[in-house]
Amino acid sequence: MQYWQDIPIGQHYRAGPITLHKKDILEFAAEFDPQPFHLSSEAADESIFGGLCASGWQVCALMMRLLADTLNQENIMALGSPGVEQLRWLKPVFANDQLHADITIEDKTKHQDYGDLICNISVYNQEEKCVMSLSSPIMVAYQNEGDSRND
Amino acid sequence: MTEQLVFRSRWFEDIPVGEFHVFGSHTFGEKEIIDFGKRYAPQPYHTDPEAALGTRYRGLVASGWHISAIWMKLMVTYMERYATGVRDGRRNGAGVGFQNMKWLKPVRPGHTLTYTYEITDKLEKIVRGQWGIIRSRNEAYNQYGELVFTFEIDILAELNPDNRA
Repeated sequence: MQYWQDIPIGQHYRAGPITLHKKDILEFAAEFDPQPFHLSSEAADESIFGGLCASGWQVCALMMRLLADTLNQENIMALGSPGVEQLRWLKPVFANDQLHADITIEDKTKHQDYGDLICNISVYNQEEKCVMSLSSPIMVAYQNEGDSRND
Repeated sequence: MTEQLVFRSRWFEDIPVGEFHVFGSHTFGEKEIIDFGKRYAPQPYHTDPEAALGTRYRGLVASGWHISAIWMKLMVTYMERYATGVRDGRRNGAGVGFQNMKWLKPVRPGHTLTYTYEITDKLEKIVRGQWGIIRSRNEAYNQYGELVFTFEIDILAELNPDNRA
C-alpha cells in the first residue's frame, strides 16, 4: 500500500493507451451529451470541430478511468477528489483515437486525517497532441506515525 | 412571439450577463451510479455498496464526473428548444474548459440534484473570428437544499454575422 507520504513531488505516471471507438462516442453522447456534433457525422462535419467527436465529458470520464487504473495498480490509498482547479479541452477527440494520460504530482498538502496530491494531468492522442489538460487534487490516506504497516 | 423563439435566435451579443436559470433535476439511482463507476471510476465507493460502507464515504456515492455528465445532459435537454431550426443544430455549446469545479457533498442513491446556471461574464477573446466565450457559474443543490456541486464553465457562442469584421 502507498500512503500520502510515500509519494514524492515530481512523481510521474503514464496511463493508457485506451482506444475510443465510434460506438463509444455515440453511446456516451446519447446518454449524456446529445448534441449533433457528438451524434451524427453529417452534422459534425459542418460544426466547429470538423467531424464527429467525443463529448468533452467523455474525455473527462476516460481520463478518470486512466487515473483510477493507475491509482489501483500502484496500490495508492486514494480517497476521491474535492474537485478540479482548471481544465481545458484543447483539441477534439475523434473516433479511433488512442488516448493516454501523463500524470505528474505537482505539489502536496496535508490535512488533518489525509493529504492531497496536486496532480497535473495531460491527455494525449496517438499523434502526441495534447487534447485535454487539468489540475486536480487527489485525496490520499495519511499514515500516522505509530500505525502498523503491513506492506 | 413566444419566449422560445426569442431564445433560439440569440447570438453571443444577445446573451445577457446575469441571466439565471434553474434548468433541470435528476435523481441518481444505485444502478446508474454503479454502472458509471465500473466503467469510468472503478473505486469501491463508486462500485460496491457493501465495500463502500467501510470507506470514508460510509456508503455508495456517485462519481464526481457522473455529476458533471448529468449537468451536461440536463443542459442539452434544456437548450434543445433554443436550437430548433438552426442549420447545424445550434449556434453554441462547444466548451473551451472550466475552472473551480468542486464536489462539496456526497451524492448517494436516491438523491435528487437540481442544477442552476448564471451567466457571469462574456470574455473579450474572439475565437476564429466567429465565436465569443460565455462564462457561467453552475451549481447543483440536493433535496435538502445543500450546495453539492459548483463550477464555472466557458462555452463558445456564435457572434452575430452582422457584427463580424
